Amino acid sequence: MSGHPSLEARELNVGYAGNNALTLSLLAVGEGELVGVVGANGAGKSTLVNSLLGWSRGSPRVSGTVWLGGSRISNLPTHERVRAGLLLVPEGKLVFGRMTVEENLTGMRTTPRNDDRRTYSIADVYDLFPRLAERRYHLGAQLSGGERQMLGIARALRFGPRVLLLDEPSIGLAPRLVSSVLRTVRSLVDAGLSVLLVEQNVRAAIEVVDRLILLERGRVVAEGAAAAMRDDPRIAEAYLGAQAG
Amino acid sequence: MNLSQQFINGLVLGHAYALIAVGWTVLLGIARLVNFAHGQIYMLCAFVAWYVTSRLGLPYLISFPAAMLMGIAVGYVMQRVLLLLTLKQDLVSIMIATLGFGYVLQGTAALVFGSTGQIFETPLSRAEVYFENVWFTYQDIAIITATIVLFTVLRYTIKRTHVGRLTRMVAEDPHLAQLAGIDVRKVYLAVFAFEGAAVAVAAVLVAPRTPILTSMGFEEVIVTFVVVVLGGIGSILGSYVAGLALGLFTAFFGALVAPAYTTAAAFAVLIAVLVLRPGGFAARAGEH
Repeated sequence: MSGHPSLEARELNVGYAGNNALTLSLLAVGEGELVGVVGANGAGKSTLVNSLLGWSRGSPRVSGTVWLGGSRISNLPTHERVRAGLLLVPEGKLVFGRMTVEENLTGMRTTPRNDDRRTYSIADVYDLFPRLAERRYHLGAQLSGGERQMLGIARALRFGPRVLLLDEPSIGLAPRLVSSVLRTVRSLVDAGLSVLLVEQNVRAAIEVVDRLILLERGRVVAEGAAAAMRDDPRIAEAYLGAQAG
Repeated sequence: MNLSQQFINGLVLGHAYALIAVGWTVLLGIARLVNFAHGQIYMLCAFVAWYVTSRLGLPYLISFPAAMLMGIAVGYVMQRVLLLLTLKQDLVSIMIATLGFGYVLQGTAALVFGSTGQIFETPLSRAEVYFENVWFTYQDIAIITATIVLFTVLRYTIKRTHVGRLTRMVAEDPHLAQLAGIDVRKVYLAVFAFEGAAVAVAAVLVAPRTPILTSMGFEEVIVTFVVVVLGGIGSILGSYVAGLALGLFTAFFGALVAPAYTTAAAFAVLIAVLVLRPGGFAARAGEH
């Protein structure tokens, strides 16, 4: 244990064209912890994970400080934050469609480093996702939504993440696949990985996370242990209402 | 009509076209950029090679690294200047800026080398071969050999090596490539430098076939444009086939109809191919 959280962000502010999209005073993900971030569409969930990496398809204005394993990374460009071990599996397009599954998994440098990060080998990720082994010579574009999600996570694991950021992994997946993907994420966390999981599917997320953060209009409105948050009326009414009824 | 000779002429011309176009093919395929200064870089590199051999009296082989250094330097400087536009993929501004760069290069070359034509002779261009009823030079053999070697190595590199996978990732989605830890700016710089180096090799090999002028370059841009579009944007194999086809077409059309209308006819073929096969010769997903 280093004593530092695996990931920490302070005074994070993100704006698009003068409009504030996210205001966050503190975010921390501990070692081997699975933190869920939930909220409605437009609450700032994707903005949060993207800004931690300094990555965006738009041109946001980002301020604040981000530390990874105690080292400040907010002054680094995206690719260097990735090399430092902050890996994002983004929402939407998350694999290279014109490359095979195997090429997606071998297209990056995964040389051994002098640190405690675990780099997953090709065999490791095929063990974790046997479906990918079966589809190894298929193009990324030929994969189903669930397979793409598996490939996105597998590619991140190949890099040896300190912290894995997952942006809406359940989008477009059948319920059975959602719980399968989230169970795999949970097993990775139990093996020591730190994960920040952004999800709209609160019911599925709350089953696997240690801690839950509720975002509304770019601000944290509730935060706590998963068990306690399940009973929080803002979560129960707005997101688990159907189940409660 | 000596059809065998026309076939040889077309073969050499086709390989020359493919060699001139290969840098742009990579630039367009990976960075999605066009460089209308391509022809002027060709001209500048041809003059550097001519200066090294004719004025400094150095061996022809030395002119390759000299011209390549110039090509890489120009490509690097252009990309440094255009980097912001490149990252934003502001294609219209890039087109205009590269056109401007071309004219700057042309003006600079005219100041340095003068505006009179020069003959860029090499030991290979003087070595002629007569076989039955056909004639060619060792320079022609060098063009064909270098083109085949360069295209083979390039295709292998793009398809099979780690560097190739990185560049394909950037080509497909530069934003997603950043999430794979790739420094996209460096890849763009490398691609521009490669374009400069490749067009330099083409200049050193192809320019000795005709007198060189600082005002040349436009025809090379047109030829390159036709080759990369016909070949399918970014397709290495497609460019080779398109270059070869254009060379044979030019030779036979020039001999059978009239050389003056060759460019117009080539563009007519280009339009027809684009209408009938919009992706070019290599209109197959994932083709390189």
